Amino acid sequence: MLTGLFFLPFLGAAALLAFRGKSAERFLGGVAQAVAVAEFLLALIFCIGTFCGKGYVCALDGIVGFGLHFTMDGFRAAYLVILTFMWMTALAFSPEYMKGHENTRRYYLFTLLTLGATAGVFLAADLMTMFIFFEVMSFTSYVWVAQEETRGALRAAETYLAVAVVGGMVMLMGLFLLHHMTGTLAMDGLREAYAAVKDRGMLLVAGCLMLFGFGAKAGMFPLHIWLPKAHPVAPAPASALLSGVLTKAGVFGIILLSGSVLSGEEDFGWIVLALGVVTMFLGALLGVFSIDLKRTFACSSVSQIGFILTGLGMMNLTKEAQLAANGAFLHMVNHSLIKLVLFLLAGVVYQNLHTLDFNEIKGFGRGKPFFLAAYTAGALAIGGVPLFSGYVSKTMLHEAIVAGSHERVGQLHHLLAASEWIFLLSGGMTVAYMLKVFFVLFVDEPSRTVKHHASKKYLSLPVKLLLGVPALLFALLGCFPGLLMQPLAKKAEPFFFGGGAVHELEKIHYFSFENLKGALISLGIGLFLYFVAVRRLLRRRKGNAAYYVNRIPAWLDLEDAVYRPVFVRLVPTLFTALVRPFDKLVTAKFFGQTLPFLLAVPCRLLDKLVEGLVSLLQNTVFAQVRPKEEKGMGISDTIAYAIGSILDAIAAFANRTVRKKNPITKSFVEACSSGEEKFSRTVRLVTRSVSYGLMLSCIGLLLTILYLLIG
Amino acid sequence: MKGNLILLVPVLLPLLAGGILAFGKTFPKKWRWRFVAAVCALELVFLLVAAGGAYELTLVRFNERLAFVLRPDGLSLLFGGLTGIMWLVSSVYSEKYFGHPKEGRTYEVFYLISIGVIAALCLSGNLVTMYMFYELMTLSVLPLVIEERTKEAIHAGFEFLFYSIAGAFLGLSGFFIFYSCGIPLEFVAGGHITAEIAGENKELLLVACFLGIVGFGSKAGMFPLHGWLPVAHPVAPAPASALLSGNVTKMGVLFIIRILYYIAGADFLRGSWVQYAFLALTMITILMGSVIASREKLLKKRLAYSTVSQVSYVLFGVALMHPVALLGALMHVVFHSAVKNTLFLSAGAIIHQTGITRADGLEGIGRRMPVTTWLYTFVSLTLIGIPPTSAFLSKWYLADGALSADIPVVRYLGPAILLISAVFTAAYLLPISVTGFLPGREENGQLKAYQREKEPWTMVIPMALLTVAAVGFGLFPNGLMHFLSGICSTVL
Repeated sequence: MLTGLFFLPFLGAAALLAFRGKSAERFLGGVAQAVAVAEFLLALIFCIGTFCGKGYVCALDGIVGFGLHFTMDGFRAAYLVILTFMWMTALAFSPEYMKGHENTRRYYLFTLLTLGATAGVFLAADLMTMFIFFEVMSFTSYVWVAQEETRGALRAAETYLAVAVVGGMVMLMGLFLLHHMTGTLAMDGLREAYAAVKDRGMLLVAGCLMLFGFGAKAGMFPLHIWLPKAHPVAPAPASALLSGVLTKAGVFGIILLSGSVLSGEEDFGWIVLALGVVTMFLGALLGVFSIDLKRTFACSSVSQIGFILTGLGMMNLTKEAQLAANGAFLHMVNHSLIKLVLFLLAGVVYQNLHTLDFNEIKGFGRGKPFFLAAYTAGALAIGGVPLFSGYVSKTMLHEAIVAGSHERVGQLHHLLAASEWIFLLSGGMTVAYMLKVFFVLFVDEPSRTVKHHASKKYLSLPVKLLLGVPALLFALLGCFPGLLMQPLAKKAEPFFFGGGAVHELEKIHYFSFENLKGALISLGIGLFLYFVAVRRLLRRRKGNAAYYVNRIPAWLDLEDAVYRPVFVRLVPTLFTALVRPFDKLVTAKFFGQTLPFLLAVPCRLLDKLVEGLVSLLQNTVFAQVRPKEEKGMGISDTIAYAIGSILDAIAAFANRTVRKKNPITKSFVEACSSGEEKFSRTVRLVTRSVSYGLMLSCIGLLLTILYLLIG
Repeated sequence: MKGNLILLVPVLLPLLAGGILAFGKTFPKKWRWRFVAAVCALELVFLLVAAGGAYELTLVRFNERLAFVLRPDGLSLLFGGLTGIMWLVSSVYSEKYFGHPKEGRTYEVFYLISIGVIAALCLSGNLVTMYMFYELMTLSVLPLVIEERTKEAIHAGFEFLFYSIAGAFLGLSGFFIFYSCGIPLEFVAGGHITAEIAGENKELLLVACFLGIVGFGSKAGMFPLHGWLPVAHPVAPAPASALLSGNVTKMGVLFIIRILYYIAGADFLRGSWVQYAFLALTMITILMGSVIASREKLLKKRLAYSTVSQVSYVLFGVALMHPVALLGALMHVVFHSAVKNTLFLSAGAIIHQTGITRADGLEGIGRRMPVTTWLYTFVSLTLIGIPPTSAFLSKWYLADGALSADIPVVRYLGPAILLISAVFTAAYLLPISVTGFLPGREENGQLKAYQREKEPWTMVIPMALLTVAAVGFGLFPNGLMHFLSGICSTVL
């Protein structure tokens, strides 16, 4: 049965593929919506069942080797309902928003695929199943970011993909280590299995690697870079889901780390807390400076994730861990719903004006009561104003930090006290940027663009209803925290502690002065920041109209200043420089030229050895002594000359007597002397050869004697 | 000749068919590739039958210890079956790839001869037989590399020969040591060498093993003798590159497995300097291949470097000498073969349809050739190791094996290198899909000139089948894993 929850959207996606052709395109939205509604109802049924005490588990053995395992508990049930509700709302808004956009089939297809994958992440009963769906989710949601195919969108998508791939791989490394340590990845019993691990250092390393992977998706500093880039360029419904749900998939993983894998590990708590505090503060700061509507909300998301991480860090740092866990959970729920409302409202703005720049959208909200109401509810909730839901979750988180700091003395106490102040300051900045947006949308004089595009119809009725529900919820939940929010948090609590025992939390007096004080301080800081800092520094007046300036210099961008140069240029270059020598170490040239040459040198040497020896001897010991030029004639010459002369005389006599007719003309002296020459040369050669042979045999004899002597 | 003659069928059938093709002057050109495909299909059946049974055949016996013997086992079935499938798939693809029937038929003839030789190589029962067919394989594959007969192709052919022969001789010198030390040359699961047998010759035998590893690592594209791959692949026809990369490299792997696990034995080598050196070489190669691939602009050359890296994943698992790692390695043999064949075939389809060979000239290819690009994307994700596709599993087992084998340094460095390399793998494969499907607003001039014409289905079907296998084995790996762990359990 549980498989239906992630399988249904996949089936729906397959169904979308069946609609081909231009004429079928208008059905796409309807099919996707129908699937989302069915999914929501299914999740609701499971949720009711779970809250009534039923348990659901499901195992698909053999799939992907390890089998896929799913389960259901209070946390999952509650969050799945929210998740599917968000998808339903986003898809309900999509046809309006996507009107006139290209590639709508792709958009709906990947929206449904991502729904299935995300549902799989939240249903997973072991880390492996979770990782598999997490990766699928990362890749399918990539298409959202790239959907518009503008230059900015493609660049943001590139960043998103890079962060997803690297995050996934680092997480996988952590998973290897975790699996190796205990041999189990099942979430049931995870806490006990890892509590027994001896090698705490390695466990911490594994946990941090996993944290890197989950944090990359959650938007944790320093991996938050993709969020402020991706949200402004993605279609608004997709931004809402990216920000409201996908980041929570990362948070879901971090809950497992803090609550189960590394439960009670203070070092890990400090790491998460530190990163959470930085994320919270930095996100809020960027939010205050931003002059783009969706970018503001994206920065706000980063900041709110920081709040949640702070709570998750405190889970390991205080005895009031439940407070931290409940706060984190409720803030997850709040933030998802708030961002749904806010991003869809941003979508309305973009749909009408095709821009999100504060200076262009000034005054858009004037005369739109629903818009005003929805935005205000969201802003009050996220700002943590009492009587709204954000107040409750933030108060719990705040209390957890305070409890932690009271439990400690010395430096650690001060550290937590500082965290508390940053917490309050970030809350203040949240108020400040929401106020800034409020003034832009509803108070400022309408810009020329807004006046030009004054259209009355800006949200269809179903979407209004779907947005109205969470907007009302913010107030309802905020007014009766003990009645609605705390029981919900209680249902979710077992998941935070690896299914461990849950103690009754003492009743929190949400509206006592002690608790209201934090919120009031934040509010005060927020109002002060807005009216003193933001209005003076970030807002200029030109004549009658106000305009907003971007105070953040272009170079101050973590991605462009650090990540891209380092990871696109430096790291590949370094690695290439490192491995290039290996590639070229043994080349074909080596076989074709160097090796033959190297081999040829000794071979030639051997080839010429004997000849060389001979010529060496010839030129040294047996150097040819040129026979002295004989003066006059030698004996043999004389004899030859004599014989020649005699023969010549005989010939002359014959010529005169016998051979008168044909006389002998040649000179015998010449012939004899040349014959003598030939003869003497041959004699010389023979003598020498014999002497050479004699010499070699002498050498042989010498060697033999030497051998005999030594042997 | 003694034994079951059925083992000869898969060896002789393609040789015979090759002969018919070579000397049958009247053989209609149009039917040439269909004939080749039919023979490959038959070959696959016979190969599976021959390798699947417990047969043995002695071809020639020279003396007590030297003989030509065919004796298949599970490993033969794995490598032989895989090769047979790829040869069949590639022959279906080739008909349209080569287009109009040409005059020369060297390629087709040697295409058939090489499968016969490789079948014999897989079925071999001892080192001598295997070595002989290994050398024959080099020679019979060479005409596939130099099919284009361009200057570069001939040059690449020479490099291929240089590296192969240099490597084979290194290995051969190792065999001489085995022989002279009295080690039996038959393949026996678990190996022959024990501490007693080795005795004083221990160091010498280790050197012999190392020579074998480096030498046959040349075919598997392992550093330092990997140089032929990036030269031979870009010039060979795409289906030939696919087979070279996906299967011929695996024969080097098979040889190394035979030496390590069937001659020497893992117990003898575990913990020796040979194991550390082998591990170091594979880790260097894994990183080197994928880093350089990410810098390479020529698509087929990029894929060649990818092979260098990926086959060393397999060798890394082999080198760890741990059952889990070996299982991962054997799985990666199958998955990489399917993936790399698809990658090269899709590169071939792109080159065939558009003529573009550079990876950075493919913006918008997803719009023009959606099917091919989707298949490319799926197998790319597989190769990176994104679950639930198959290579994720093999990498999981490799990393798990590395952690469990408990070798200092390698224990953590190994998995880390696998993952860093995976990131680089993503960096060299995904940009083509990304820019292919999402080219942005600017139209690519080169592609604009290309009239959209669908890839012929005989080219699409082979790629699609392999993609389904590559992804499907990830979802339903149990049958395959059962078979492979059966092989692993015999040697470790």
